[in-house]
Amino acid sequence: MAIQSASPTPSMFRKKSTPVLNTAASYLSAVSEADARARAPRGTPNSTPALSLSSSVTSSSEDTVLHEREELNSDGLAYPKVPPTSEQVFTTVHAEFGHCANDSYRFTSRYNPARPLKAGEQDPPYYILLTTYISYILVILFGHLRDFFGKRFKATDYRHLLAHGGYAALNSDFDSFYTRRLKLRIDDCFSHPVTGVPGRTIVLLDRYSPNHNKSILLTGGKTRGLNVSSYNYLGFAQSKGACADASAESIRRYGISACGSRREGGTSDLHIQAEALVARFLGMEDSLISSMGFATNSTVIPALVSKGCLVISDELNHASIRFGVRLSGANVRMFKHNDVKSLEALLREVISQGQPKTHRPWKKILVIVEGLYSMEGTLVELPAIMELKKKYKFYLFIDEAHSIGAIGPHGRGVCDYYDVNPRDVDILMGTFTKSFGAAGGYIAGNRSLIDRIRLSGHAGAYAEAMAPPILTQVVASMASIMGVTLPRLDKPTSSTRSLLTRHSDSTLNVIAEEAPAWRGTALAAWLPTWMPTPQSMCDGSDSQMRLRRLAFNARYLNRALRKLGFITYGSADSPVVPLLLFHPGKMAVFSRLMRTRPTPIVVVVVAYPATSLVTSRVRFCLSASHTKEDIDTILVACDEIGDLLDLKQGVGERWPLQEIMARAVELVHMEES
Amino acid sequence: MNTTTTALEPLFTLLSQSYTTLETTFSKIPGSAVVARYVRSSHQNDPGRTLLEVILILFAIRTLLQSRTRADNSGKHFIKFDEKEVDELVDEWTPEPLGAPLDEREQAEIDNSPVIVGPVGPKPKLSNGKTVTNLASYNFTGLAGNETIKERSIDALVKYGLGSCGPPGFYGTQDVHMQLEKDIADFLGTEAAIIYAQAFSTISSVIPAFCKRGDIIIADRGVNFAIQKGLQISRSTIRWYDHNDLKSLEQVLESTEKERRKKKGPLTRRFIVTEGIFDHDGAMSDLPKLVELKQKYKYRLILDESVSFGSIGRTGRGLTELYNVPASQVDMLVGSLANGLTACGGFCAGSHIVVNHQRINGTSFVFSAAMPPLLSVAASEGINILRSTPSILSTLQENIRAIRSILDRVDCIAIPAHPASPMIHLYVRLPSPTHLLPSAALASPALSSASGRLSNPSSPHPRDPEIFDCDLEDGILQDIVDEVLAQGVMVTRAKRLRGQELTEVRPSIRLAATSALSKKDCEKAASVVKTAFIKVVGRHRK
Repeated sequence: MAIQSASPTPSMFRKKSTPVLNTAASYLSAVSEADARARAPRGTPNSTPALSLSSSVTSSSEDTVLHEREELNSDGLAYPKVPPTSEQVFTTVHAEFGHCANDSYRFTSRYNPARPLKAGEQDPPYYILLTTYISYILVILFGHLRDFFGKRFKATDYRHLLAHGGYAALNSDFDSFYTRRLKLRIDDCFSHPVTGVPGRTIVLLDRYSPNHNKSILLTGGKTRGLNVSSYNYLGFAQSKGACADASAESIRRYGISACGSRREGGTSDLHIQAEALVARFLGMEDSLISSMGFATNSTVIPALVSKGCLVISDELNHASIRFGVRLSGANVRMFKHNDVKSLEALLREVISQGQPKTHRPWKKILVIVEGLYSMEGTLVELPAIMELKKKYKFYLFIDEAHSIGAIGPHGRGVCDYYDVNPRDVDILMGTFTKSFGAAGGYIAGNRSLIDRIRLSGHAGAYAEAMAPPILTQVVASMASIMGVTLPRLDKPTSSTRSLLTRHSDSTLNVIAEEAPAWRGTALAAWLPTWMPTPQSMCDGSDSQMRLRRLAFNARYLNRALRKLGFITYGSADSPVVPLLLFHPGKMAVFSRLMRTRPTPIVVVVVAYPATSLVTSRVRFCLSASHTKEDIDTILVACDEIGDLLDLKQGVGERWPLQEIMARAVELVHMEES
Repeated sequence: MNTTTTALEPLFTLLSQSYTTLETTFSKIPGSAVVARYVRSSHQNDPGRTLLEVILILFAIRTLLQSRTRADNSGKHFIKFDEKEVDELVDEWTPEPLGAPLDEREQAEIDNSPVIVGPVGPKPKLSNGKTVTNLASYNFTGLAGNETIKERSIDALVKYGLGSCGPPGFYGTQDVHMQLEKDIADFLGTEAAIIYAQAFSTISSVIPAFCKRGDIIIADRGVNFAIQKGLQISRSTIRWYDHNDLKSLEQVLESTEKERRKKKGPLTRRFIVTEGIFDHDGAMSDLPKLVELKQKYKYRLILDESVSFGSIGRTGRGLTELYNVPASQVDMLVGSLANGLTACGGFCAGSHIVVNHQRINGTSFVFSAAMPPLLSVAASEGINILRSTPSILSTLQENIRAIRSILDRVDCIAIPAHPASPMIHLYVRLPSPTHLLPSAALASPALSSASGRLSNPSSPHPRDPEIFDCDLEDGILQDIVDEVLAQGVMVTRAKRLRGQELTEVRPSIRLAATSALSKKDCEKAASVVKTAFIKVVGRHRK
């Protein structure tokens, strides 16, 4: 285990038998001390690197090109702690995609109808909620005080908040107050610039602020940290490997841009090929690709619904869906997050009542849900919604921005996970930003519907088409997940065939025979002829490894955090794991302490307005590129910081850290109790 | 009687004891004295008051506990049904199909849109095997397929991988994004800039980031679709002025000011929203006059330079360079990196305050993944090339002149575009009774003010709208496009979402000039377009 040898932690971090520190005063001083150390600028010549008693961490100024850096690897980020044996051949860069040969660290993400996973939403003790409110009130009070005096005595600094010279203030509402007075205090935890590949590790550009975050300056130094912040579920954020090679080749062949909108001459053969492949991947008739994920929702929904239609939307749906619905002019009703009963009650009401005032029947009702809610980690209750759909005849739109690729035994999203026929869903939407390591999004459905969207959606006429290298990344990563069946007549393919038959542990062989059924492999003819198709891509071993590693990592971290006593939200199969912090102040401290550990860990902390005011949280985004040791590193860190910040408020059975790490495989395979 | 009292005695003692305990505990709570005093003073021997306060408190608790998603079944329009009736209504209800099926013409459009095989450039190959001259793709500066850009992009791919895998706020901001923002700001001469992942989603996010309910926006009647959507989302009060008519703008500014003075409302944010070169027809705004007006009336200017950035001015800086107006005079300068720089995405340049505000309030910036690093590298390199090679823009202008010189004086073609605009819209001019407007109307859009009548500023429709037969002209133009394609030149109709645009846009063929073609090729292509126009319009007359 990497962490024990490499992290001689300062005494205050040492695991205490009880989470309670002696007195409140010592607790507070410990927090402030740790926080002060974490906030100190790193990499500046005069300061010592925070928390680094071992010399290893000082390698923070390494270049992103790995082979150029001098060897200092006690944190295990750039190279594996245990060197591979001669039989193990890894083709990936460890810093981008971790080496893990242990086959027991694998799992298959699949819905078990007999023992459905419970989305564990525990409420914190009341004192936590109370103190959270108090801390918000305090900060808001101070903010108003400072604004009050600032506007009177330092008018130049507040010029943009006041009317001047006949111009009204540019931004003066609560949003602006929140940004200046609350978010600014912890701005060092947001928008951190990075460089290099956002893979298993990520390189942060060090920064410091001389004036309490008013301006944040780069020091010029860099820190490599373990990355649990990027949406890189299947680990396709790679600068080396089949996908990157294919993209590079497409730049050489196609250039950078499609030069126009899809309907005004911006359509190339790559677009056609990619759309066909996406449709086959999803098991739908046809699909349409859009060059931006956000715009996929915001430009397609207006083509589906209009005045006289009703959109029923989960209350926690993404901003892009709300944006699209607002543009469409349709009526909107919301139901309680992921609550099928609330949805049914609402459906009964709206169908029986009809349109407001006129009581005319709705033209159509579109229910919009997300497959995996990225802030909550909850999976949509698809089987129950499909039942409702039969009865209430609404149209179903599933936004699979996070679930596509990341969920299901074949990575085909929630339909695959629940074993629901995707053709029973009217519209599947998703993005390529997350699991596929590309950009943009797709919309899939039956052919006439997609053609309608091509014509009536905003993007087709006005928005730029997707760029060729991005399309190629989509095609290559998707083919990699599907596996590729090479044509049988094409040159002797003995090597491929032997590989195909060798993999008996998966269902790949069966599927290969009946291709091109849903969840089947891709035929080589579907791909661009110039695209290199290495063996690991063809036989599906690469995709199986990715899918099963991700499923293992997701379950392991989810369950381990609960066993440690943390309050987490969502399904155990979700690769997004939100850990509840509640207090706004703890967000900053948590983020800083994680970032400044001997093995720095890069996490995302989120608060209002992305979540409700009291449920500030840290969000771990797992990836197939993480190894079991990486998850252990995260757990050790969470355990220490959790004690320090009094975060272990969950109920239920607890295991000590060592036991969790030792019994990881058992923990992952455990049935839901 | 006595027995019952004695039997109840322990109970009474218990009650009085617990009352005393309660009282002492209550008095121990800090601030309890204040509460007690308040209750006492508010009671004032009047139980009615206490009752009222209790009801108020209960009401407050009820309001707080009420779910946001609760069904609104208290209204007077709510009809009560029992379960069986609801079931019947559910059974009865039949929804319309989700997407209306395509008609023949729409299907033909889907089936016949050209597909480019291989790279886009001045002479791409189409899926039917033909190599054509390309006047359809946005490649004004000829940077598509530029070898340096390709090389730099591959370098970026090797260093950063492809996707940025996160929104800018959550570790999606790469150093190359910051570099591009700096490059744009330096290039234009503004304090800062912010990049969005898609050009189309840029302005529809910038406008609502600043303009809220109650603010005033004065917009051109001919603004593009993305701006229209931004205006719709903003929920601001919108006033319209006649397309590209600054006299009309001044009148609207004046009348809005009067209205405000009359109402004595508070000072609200006020914006003028318009385009540099209009996407709808290629007309160009008179920027100096616009800036003068905005300063006079104290408005902020949101200028969409999606077409003009990278295509106008000595080095492609857009309208500000052409008119020699400092870019800092434009409060929010929005542009596209997809058109002029042949990369992807859009930007908004302005002061630090303007830019930083969008980093939290620009919806499509905050809630979308950052642009892939290699595309920002491509855009940065594009700016570099434009900066160091002014000949690109002069070639482009020569090509525009070559095309215009052939198409300008053709009877059946009307060109609303500015002579320097690289985006050239061609209207078909039919001498039939369906088209009654005098030809001069097309050349000078300042028709309504010239006639002295004002349009209603609250309506997006002008007082004297152009009269044209949309389907007829679309059909003719499509025939022309097909004819031109058969002769080896690719052009396109300007595709519009009929019915979704605020005002019906006149059908046109949109040419995009490029510096990558030689002057001779441009002339040849323009002649092909001219011949096709004459041929198809002539055929139509018969």
